[in-house]
Parts: sequence; C-alpha cells; structure tokens
Amino acid sequence: MTVFLSILGVVALIAILIYNSLIGKKNQVDNIFAGVDTVLKKRYDLIPNLVASVERYMEHEKSTLEKVTEYRAQAMKPGISDDQKIALDAKLTSALGAINIAMEAYPDLKANENVMHLMRTLNEIEEQISAARRAYNQSVTDLNNAIEMFPTNIVAGWMNLQRRLLFEITTTERQNVNVHDLFNRS
Amino acid sequence: MKTLSELTDYYYKELYPSIDELEKTRQEIASRLKLYGGMGLALFGLVAIWCTKTFGLLHPMSIAIAIGFIAVGTIIYRSMTQNYAKDFKEKVITPLINAIDSNLLYNPDLMISQTLFERSQLFNHSIDRYRGNDYVKGSIDGVPIEFSDVHAEYQTRDSKGRTQWHTLFRGLFLVAEFNKHFKSRTVLLPDLAEKTFGNLIGGWLQSLNISRDKVIQLDDPEFEKKFVVYGNDPIEARYILSHSMMNRIVEFQKKISYPLFISFVYNHIHVGIGAGKDLFEPAVFTSLLDYKQAMEYINTLRYTIGLVEELKLNEKLWSKE
Repeated sequence: MTVFLSILGVVALIAILIYNSLIGKKNQVDNIFAGVDTVLKKRYDLIPNLVASVERYMEHEKSTLEKVTEYRAQAMKPGISDDQKIALDAKLTSALGAINIAMEAYPDLKANENVMHLMRTLNEIEEQISAARRAYNQSVTDLNNAIEMFPTNIVAGWMNLQRRLLFEITTTERQNVNVHDLFNRS
Repeated sequence: MKTLSELTDYYYKELYPSIDELEKTRQEIASRLKLYGGMGLALFGLVAIWCTKTFGLLHPMSIAIAIGFIAVGTIIYRSMTQNYAKDFKEKVITPLINAIDSNLLYNPDLMISQTLFERSQLFNHSIDRYRGNDYVKGSIDGVPIEFSDVHAEYQTRDSKGRTQWHTLFRGLFLVAEFNKHFKSRTVLLPDLAEKTFGNLIGGWLQSLNISRDKVIQLDDPEFEKKFVVYGNDPIEARYILSHSMMNRIVEFQKKISYPLFISFVYNHIHVGIGAGKDLFEPAVFTSLLDYKQAMEYINTLRYTIGLVEELKLNEKLWSKE
C-alpha cells in the first residue's frame, strides 16, 4: 500500500510539474505575441502616412499601395485571430518590400526628405518586427515540441492545447541585411 | 584605420630604432635573470634539503620558506623588468596605438573603472581586488570606446581560516556605445556546459543558472555552439542579436583564441576577452623582433580597436545619429 501511494505521489508530482511547464510555455507564447502586436501596431500607424507621401510619385505601384492599405485595414479589424494576423503580416511585409525595391526607380522620391525619413523609420520598425517574429517562433517551437513529445503530450492532450502557427521568416530576413539600404549612409 | 599588414610594416620599419634599442636591454635583462634564477634555484635546493631534514617536507615552516622564496623571486623579477616595461609601452605600444588611430589616448597606468566593469553584469560575483593598466580611450568612426587590461579577483577562506585569492576575470575589457536603442539586459557567455555535456544536458544546466536571467535560444546553430545567451527581454535580445550581428560575433571569436564575454546593457556593449594575462606586457625571454611575438601585440591592438569596425558599431541607426 505504501509503495502504491509513493508511486501515485511521484506520478502526481510529475503531472503537476508538466502541467505547470506547459502553462508557462503557453503564457510565454501569448506574452511574446503581445510584444509582436506592439511592433506590428507601430507599422500600421506608419503606413497611412507613407502611402500618402509616395502615391503621388509611384504611378506604376498603385495596385501594390492599395494592397498595403487593404491589408492594414484587415489587420486592424477588432476580433481578428492571431493566425490571421500572422498571415496578413507576411502579405504586408512582402508588399512593403516590393515598394522598397520599386523606390529605386523614382529618383524624385529618394530626394524627398520626408519620404526618406518615413522609409528609414519603417526599416527600423521592420528590424524590430523581425526580432519579435524570431522570438515568437522560438516560443511557439518550444510549445509545439511539448505538445508533441512524450510524456508532455499526454498532459497537453488533457489540457486541449493546440499547436500554434509560426511566422514565416522570409529569405531576405535570413540573409545579412544590406546596411546601405538600412542606414543613413550614401 | 591601418590594416594588419600596414601595422606590421610600421612595427618593423618605423619603430625599428626603438625596438632595436629595447631588444638590447631585453637581452641584458634576460641573461641577468637566467644567472640570478640559476643561483636562486641552487640556493632554494640547498634550503629545501635542510628544511626537509630539520622540519619535514610538508611542515608549515618549510612551506613558509618556499613561499618566501617565490615572493622574493617575484619582487626581484618585477624590479628588474619594471623600467624595461615602461620604456616598451612608451616607445612601442603608444606609437602603435597612435598609428591605428590618432584620436586614441593611451595611459599605461590607468584602467577601466570598476563601476563600468560591474555595470556589464558579466561576472555576478563580489570583487575583493580590482587592478588593471594600459587604458585606451577615444572614439573610432564616431563611436566612443574605452578599454584596458583588467584583473578582478575575489577572496575565500578555507576551513583553517587561510585566505585564498581566485581570479574572476583577467584579460582585456572594452566598453563602447552600441548603435541601437535598447532598455533590456542581454548577456553572452562562452558555452562551456553545452561543449562539455552536449545539447540536452548542457541546455538544462544552463537553464539552472539562478543568478542569471532566462536562457534565450537563438536561431543560429554556429552561434549557439559557441555562446549561451541570458536576457530579460526575448524580443530585444533578438533585435540586438540580428543574424548579421551573430555572424560578426562568431567571426570575431574565430579570430581570437581567448574566451569572449559580451553584454549589452545601458545602450553599451561590454566585451571581456579572457586572455588570462596582461596583453601589453613586453616579452622578456622572446625577442621583440620575433614575428610571432610582434604579431601578438599588433593583433591584440588591431582586433580590439577594430571591434568597432568588425561589429559595425559605426553604422548607427539614423535615430541614434
């Protein structure tokens, strides 16, 4: 009887430890996503100003600019899920990247101090977003591993924890950033 | 900033007259040291035999006499090399630093303040003795920088109440302004646990370090093999340690053969290069004209001062300009 109770005690203790570590991992994901949200919001705040400043010059990029505005509007809708935010972030990043590249073809734009200031601000925000995405992906990977690995998967099953989606890290982000594009250097 | 080969040329051509003169002094000192050393050893041998017969080999008296011999030897060595070291710093190190960058000020007797050293939060231990020398301060490409040799120690007492000194850090310590704004604390230490115990156990051991913030896992396998990162903000740690920054730190670590300690606090980068010795002390038993010896001085200086270039600290975000 004593042996049985001891074994039961040890099993209960392990289950409690696993439960607490899963809760910790889940909260870490939510916590970091709040940080991601903060930097994404910085970018949403900048977009209207940026679009208004460049649309007069960028005749051929009208559709891309419209897309950027549309994605921003969708991302700012109340009640949007985290997964939808992640999907919209990828679209927005790629559209803004296209604008950044297209700017090379507009010398007038590059001479405009206001536009350049906005672009540099955007680049700084993009660096922060990139860091936030990497932090989020690491915490999601930790949680997803715990959900799938034995024995934590048993407790995760009882808790009904779901796997989370990762942010896609673009290939340009993986490469070393070209600092001449990012910094105020000629 | 001059390249390594330009600095090597400068050392052998421009500084040759001073080095040649110092080399003669060095040879004299070395031969005198060998003579005194030989005599000292012979005397020590005789005293050791007498002590063993009179008190026994491990008797406190025998040990005290042995320690006395070492202390006297050290004092004699120091007094004989003191002026030579001073001349070497004046005639070789000072012009070398000026050749690298004329904006840098050098003082062989000063050091990085203990406050700055402790501010780095690289070594979580009380310091009982803090010494240093060879202080360099200035700015490289507009980035304020200062560094010096540092020797930080702490004291313990054994069961018999005897004092023992332990080195916490010995080597070169550098502080420079960082090119991004941040509020958090991020500390990089050599990854000894993972090297010794492998990924799984090593990672678990790292996470047990209660005196540190949480371990931050980064997405660069090569970097992860070399360093363990502790920080209190997982997002800002990655903002500081972008892929390119991690890459540069790994490249820097490959160039120097000493353990590297780096922290990012108070908008500054703090770098400790754990050489385990003073880096700008002149060699006594190796020729100053010896290529390897010369390259050690030049490399150390060039890599330390070059760290600003190496880590691209001069490429500031426009909001910091």
